[in-house]
Amino acid sequence: MSNPFREDLVSRNRPEPCTVVIFGATGDLTHRKLIPALYNLAVDGELPTGVNIIGFARREKADEEFRKGLEELNRKVSRNGHDEEVWNPFIHSVTYHQSEFSDDAGYASLAKRLDEIDAERGGKGNRLFYIASAPEFFDDILLHLKKAGLNEAKPGCWARVIVEKPFGTDLKTAQHLNHVVNQTFNESDTYRIDHYLGKETAQNLMVLRFANAIFEPLWNSKYISHIQITCAENLGMEGGRGGYYEKSGALRDMVQNHLLQLLSLVAMEPPTDLSADGVRDEKVKVIRSLRQWDTPEKVAENVVRAQYTAGHVDGNPVPGYREEDRVSASSETEAYVAVRLLIDTWRWSGVPFYIRMGKRLPKKSTEISVHFKDAPSVLFGALPGGVPGGNVLVIRIQPDEGISLRMVSKIPGTSLRLEPVKMDFHYATSFGKGSPEAYERLILDAMAGDATLFARRDEVEEAWRFIDHIERAWHESDNKPPMAEFVAGSWGPREADEMIQKDGNAWRRL
Amino acid sequence: MSSNFPKSCPELGIEVPISEIELELRKLWEQDEARTNASLMNLAVYSEKPGSLLENSRIINSLTRDNACRAILVEINREEPASLRAWITAHCHLAQGQKSVCCEQISFRLTGRVTGRFRNTVFSHLNSDLPLVFWWQGELSEVFTERLASVIDRLIIDSSLWSQPQISFARILEALKANPSLVVQDLAWTRCWQFRVGIASLFDDTVAQSALEGIDQVRIKHSPSHCNTALQIMAWLAVQAGWKHQGNLTFESKTGLKIHAQIESCGDSAPLGMVELSSGKVNVRVSHEKNSVHLLREIEAGDYHVTSLSPADPEASPDLVAQQLSRGGKNSLFIKILPMFLDLLK
Repeated sequence: MSNPFREDLVSRNRPEPCTVVIFGATGDLTHRKLIPALYNLAVDGELPTGVNIIGFARREKADEEFRKGLEELNRKVSRNGHDEEVWNPFIHSVTYHQSEFSDDAGYASLAKRLDEIDAERGGKGNRLFYIASAPEFFDDILLHLKKAGLNEAKPGCWARVIVEKPFGTDLKTAQHLNHVVNQTFNESDTYRIDHYLGKETAQNLMVLRFANAIFEPLWNSKYISHIQITCAENLGMEGGRGGYYEKSGALRDMVQNHLLQLLSLVAMEPPTDLSADGVRDEKVKVIRSLRQWDTPEKVAENVVRAQYTAGHVDGNPVPGYREEDRVSASSETEAYVAVRLLIDTWRWSGVPFYIRMGKRLPKKSTEISVHFKDAPSVLFGALPGGVPGGNVLVIRIQPDEGISLRMVSKIPGTSLRLEPVKMDFHYATSFGKGSPEAYERLILDAMAGDATLFARRDEVEEAWRFIDHIERAWHESDNKPPMAEFVAGSWGPREADEMIQKDGNAWRRL
Repeated sequence: MSSNFPKSCPELGIEVPISEIELELRKLWEQDEARTNASLMNLAVYSEKPGSLLENSRIINSLTRDNACRAILVEINREEPASLRAWITAHCHLAQGQKSVCCEQISFRLTGRVTGRFRNTVFSHLNSDLPLVFWWQGELSEVFTERLASVIDRLIIDSSLWSQPQISFARILEALKANPSLVVQDLAWTRCWQFRVGIASLFDDTVAQSALEGIDQVRIKHSPSHCNTALQIMAWLAVQAGWKHQGNLTFESKTGLKIHAQIESCGDSAPLGMVELSSGKVNVRVSHEKNSVHLLREIEAGDYHVTSLSPADPEASPDLVAQQLSRGGKNSLFIKILPMFLDLLK
């Protein structure tokens, strides 16, 4: 039966009451992101009435001890502060369930607990399983959910799963994970979370492209010279991150998921509608159309990997990558990667896309820059200094979300001199209020059954197909492309500059 | 009648000749290169209350923290001899602790016969291409004409301040007929936003949803000055659930069930204190204790009792306007319930 009071109330799908089971509930993600996100939804009145949360993890803990730990972190990180009046009823809906991830009895008792909650709730049995554990437990958790029958929704209800990245470490493991996931849950009930897609500017990409008539006619190889996607981090391997990073590297950690997702939003064709599959059908076509760098020679020509050597960041001396905590002294893991991509479609024929991601760069910044071709030089080309560069549209993802457009303008005065000027739009300046955290939006979408901002199986696998060629050339071929070096605190290795210069382009100075 | 308005009014900024407003504004910006001028809309605030300019300037200072705009404040006094004075200033706030972001404000004080001069004064100082949000404070007077409404994108009113809401709403309807794209936002309606969200959320619950067809009683409690809000939420319930009004706050459901509504005015209530829908066995209730920042959402069905808190709607008009500005939208739901509300007003 539909709820008539919902009609016309808000322009989003309706999140439904459910029980959220978080696997890996004692981990950092649960404490820093998931519980604060759920709490902030409660503060804003967005969390459906009657949501219950069960934290599932291996450590022995009583409910009270678990709640206390959540409260400590929430006080520190919550976007809306910490209001006891909201927190107290909210935290009483949170309970702890201790079990090994491979213990049948633990899932049987979880099923019983869920049934009890359903009974208390008068039969409504929606369940949202959030797998926030370390990736090595994904298989166990999914298989046991199936064994306990928890993947089956009761009539009129749903059972959904949110899977955190990494979605595998290569195509083979991703296919395996997808196989296990899809053996347990339907693809339509599977939500692969990529928090970049929950960010306001990422969501605004489609609006910018398809709700403004001035951009789309220019959004093709006729007018665009090239596109750059940059994800710069000034942090290194602090806090023991080296252990994880050594196993992944920049390409797998960021490019395979976040940056290829951004690329697909920038390059996709207009979807037929705004449904989840309408959008994702177009996104996956972009990834599928990437020209494959499938030999070591092509990888050497189009991809640069590098590690940083000791240098300075924010005025402080920092060690080189191989001297970082939990990093091997002979590590072959890249802390920087720059990739030149070509999309073999009519729209993007001949337009290079460049992605670069690096640790220990001068500052933290993620942005997409669209570089337009120069205007014909017949009029102003002969001026001293010529025309200073073309138009650049910059979409800043973080930290200072916004959009800017660089144009050429005449300097006031009696002589004719041209200089670039920038039109700048800052979310914070124009809209004031802080945007919800990406996790808030995404969890609510999963409760509402809207998968638009989640990665689909074929997107993940196509992305791995592209990435695998590069990884194989780096680690398995006979003529491995070399590992370049750059000084920490600089904008990456010389080799990356040379790669982009071969096309007559240069990295944008951030 | 002589004016009590002060000769000098530093809170409103620099007094400038009408013909030089734009020039003086440019000078203001040239004084400090570090400032960023931000504007998403023209926000005109109209009042016929003496002394409102100063009060509204303070409100704009607060509103511009989250809503970048060019503010145009107008105070009218038709009893005084004809005159027109203008002031300019900027409200600046730190954005993310770094950049000073400023919004312009132009204040006008018009006295005497104003109708023609008023329109010209406001319209000649709009920021081009940006929408015009017009906040009309108090009763709709003769200054509110179809011509005026035809250039407004979003009209903000507060019908709870109207002594004759039927007459004023009739004028709003005429304005809507002349300008169908006009978005009308009644703060009385905004005041019950969280109540509506709360009720909708409670009826997501299967227990409440299964009781919907059996609802035969509605109780609404409000404070004496917020009867319109109570009637509007009643109209919303009826329109959304498909109930027909049969007079005297009695409705008939789609299945022919009689529904009796009781709308109660209480001196110690929050503007909207409670909305309760009951069938024989199930009570669905959203309530608001006076001065509390939370609403309480409840479902009672025998042993089954679900409660949760949600944020309460702000009560003060400036806070409601801020909320309205950040939400935007076409407000089509208000237009949908308007005929039923007007019927209930009778």
